[in-house]
Amino acid sequence: MMESSDELLSKAWTVISEQLKPSASQNEDQLNRKEFCEAWQTLEANNLDYIVEEWFIETLQQDLRHRIGPLFWNFFKELENQTENSAYIQKFVESVNYLYEITREYRSCINLLESVSPLGETATSKNISSLIITFYKAIIFYTYPETFLTSVGKYYSEAFRVFHHINTESHDSGEEKSPLCDGCQIDVSTCTCQEIMETFHSVNKKLDDIGVLEKVSGAAVTSIVHSQIESYINTNCKGNFETSYFEHLEKWLDTKVLGWLNSIYAGEKSHNSISAFRGRLLHFLFETYANARIEQLFMIVIDYPESEPAILDLKTCLEKTNLRSQLMSSLRKALEDRLLHPGVNTTVILSAYISAIRSLRVLDPAGVILEFVSEPVRKYLRSREDTVRCIVLCLTEEGSNELLDELWKGQPLVLEDDTCSDEDEGDWETWMPDPVDADPSTTSKSRRASDIISMLVNIYGSKELFVNEYRTLLTDRILNQFNCDMDRELRYLEMLKLRFGESQLHYCEVMLKDVADSKRINSRIVQEMALVEQKMDIDINALILSAHFWPPLREEKITLPKEMQKSLEEYTKKFEALKGNRTLNWKPHLGMMKIEIEHNGTNLSFSVSPVHAAIIMQFQNKARWDVEELSGVLQMSVSALRRKITYWQTQGLLKEEVPDTFVLVDEVKGQGHEVVMVEDESESAMASAQQQREEELQVFWTYIVGMLTNLESLPLERIHTMLRMFAMQGPSTGEVSLPELKGFLDRKIREQKLVYYSGVYRLAK
Amino acid sequence: MLLDQFNFHYISGWTAVASWRWIANDENCGICRMPFDGCCPDCKLPGDDCPLVWGQCSHCFHIHCIVKWLNSQQVHQLCPMCRQEWKFKE
Ligand SMILES: [Zn+2]
Ligand SMILES: [Zn+2]
Ligand SMILES: [Zn+2]
Repeated sequence: MMESSDELLSKAWTVISEQLKPSASQNEDQLNRKEFCEAWQTLEANNLDYIVEEWFIETLQQDLRHRIGPLFWNFFKELENQTENSAYIQKFVESVNYLYEITREYRSCINLLESVSPLGETATSKNISSLIITFYKAIIFYTYPETFLTSVGKYYSEAFRVFHHINTESHDSGEEKSPLCDGCQIDVSTCTCQEIMETFHSVNKKLDDIGVLEKVSGAAVTSIVHSQIESYINTNCKGNFETSYFEHLEKWLDTKVLGWLNSIYAGEKSHNSISAFRGRLLHFLFETYANARIEQLFMIVIDYPESEPAILDLKTCLEKTNLRSQLMSSLRKALEDRLLHPGVNTTVILSAYISAIRSLRVLDPAGVILEFVSEPVRKYLRSREDTVRCIVLCLTEEGSNELLDELWKGQPLVLEDDTCSDEDEGDWETWMPDPVDADPSTTSKSRRASDIISMLVNIYGSKELFVNEYRTLLTDRILNQFNCDMDRELRYLEMLKLRFGESQLHYCEVMLKDVADSKRINSRIVQEMALVEQKMDIDINALILSAHFWPPLREEKITLPKEMQKSLEEYTKKFEALKGNRTLNWKPHLGMMKIEIEHNGTNLSFSVSPVHAAIIMQFQNKARWDVEELSGVLQMSVSALRRKITYWQTQGLLKEEVPDTFVLVDEVKGQGHEVVMVEDESESAMASAQQQREEELQVFWTYIVGMLTNLESLPLERIHTMLRMFAMQGPSTGEVSLPELKGFLDRKIREQKLVYYSGVYRLAK
Repeated sequence: MLLDQFNFHYISGWTAVASWRWIANDENCGICRMPFDGCCPDCKLPGDDCPLVWGQCSHCFHIHCIVKWLNSQQVHQLCPMCRQEWKFKE
């Protein structure tokens, strides 16, 4: 009896569809295999074999969607509201085992199918085994529940801890041993590390076999390794700027971190991904390290040159990462936050700026970073009135400092206002374009100028200001401090000439010559008087100035006592005799004299201005003076007189008995001691409205100190009101506005005489 | 208060400050227009290095200025201010 072809086909189809069910093919035997082949041939003969593959793939997808997927995710449903770590870990292992079994079942079906149909020529050109991996990823791992991610995370974290514990030589020297194992965190006696590792390798192996190892573990492993990198950098590199870590970190990654990755991705399917992993981790390592450095860049800059290794590391990191603009804005902000407020001394800001110039030119030779981050600093320094003075002071200091070292290099200045174009300079073969973030409004030449003094002068962009300030300081040293070391000044002037040009310093040259000439004239006059056995009543050491070459000097009206005037006139005569057709204009308020005061058995020595001497001298004849009266005798203004009297008050010689009347103090404290005092240096010989005003404000300072001593802390407005009540009463004291008072108090904060905290001022301890 | 118990003494060493100037009847040199107490345009240092000279007409100039002026005059040597014959004052 012949079966119809329909029946044959239907029978063959039943055999094939039965055997390609995952559960059925488990017990494959020769008979089944033979039956399957015959059925296949039947279909093939009818050109229906292509249907089998399509049907199989469709069935597989349906199965994944409706049966395997839900069953797989069921493992994790039970975990909601679960707190036990072990439950998560166990469920993860179970789910992997389940998926592995399913895969094995399907794999025998696939093997069977592939044994009869060599390469699937259906929709894709891939074979069915690789297709199934794609289905897993697309259908099952399309979205994850939160609990799955938690499980994976917990599982790999535990495994990492155990791996680390097993692979680190124990340093149990002296440390008290914890009863729990560092790896599995179970009592040491029942440590399960070994088992955990075995399961771990098998889980990875299974996942690799299924083809989803990287898909499942990638994120968790990456995040574990990332936090390992972060904590390593935090504990090892932070705070130490004097060591380069760059090579060390890469080596550490290869030996310590990649070992763990190798143990996970040992299977053949995922082994290739390790090198890509390494690349990503290396990038993360550099980024983390660079971020740690950037965070501390302010301190690194300040510590330069000791911190050069950190700067060089950062330079390498910048080439490999994309953190340049972050570095720039973070350092700029740090400089602003740390430096640019009234409590910071100008010298501190300047030395930070110098450190920034030196360190950032190593970091970025093109100078773009420096230009950007230091812009607020330069702007702020321009607004500080003592900046030029501080720079010049640094330059003229005894001994050595960074600026002096730079000065002795003797390069001419490179100024922003120099007009020559930068294309003229240098070799075109070594020319480098400016980085894209460079400010196009400045020339690359000025930006690249490596010379610190030029950078500082460029804060102002003019040599004149600097030379003028030097002239002011020189004047101050000659006329106020009388401590002018001529040899040093002359050597120094030669250096400055190399830098700033001869013509700029011509005036200073004449000033120094005046000092030298004055010495000669003095000794000539003394010699000539000795020849005729004469001697002056008061020994005069004149400083004779060529007025046109000095800064305008402060004028002050005063009529000196007769004997003092007589001595000056005598000196003038001798000078006229020496230098025909020339005479002298005395500036009686300038200069210094040494006086001695005998007061109630105490001898006191002072070095003071002639004006101060003239004032205290008046008390020899009369112990009580009204301010108006005394100002008439000395022919000086009441307010100037009051300022000078302040000095004698602070010395404890005079007191204001009733308003506007000064008397000698009966007993001077510190009896029997010989005290030598130099008048407060703040009084400059040069004319300056600002300085004049400062002196007037200084009168208020005594009051402010008194208030703060009694009341401890006061807000600005209270200080102002109290000054108006007590200090601004008399005709001889001026007014002070609120903003001016604030400026004055700010300066006192910088001088560390006051502290300002939460709205009130206190005296500094 | 006993006045005789307060006594004031000078001790040697008064550093006094003065500026020097030429005793002349004008501030500026009539030739170069620079101040006498400065120096002529050819000089760097004032005073001894760039002195003044007086003519018998009582006009005075930087010495370097009048010498230059006189050298430029081919026929008569006249004071540039009063056009009288220039003669150095003794
Ligand atoms: Zn002249
Ligand atoms: Zn001259
Ligand atoms: Zn004349």
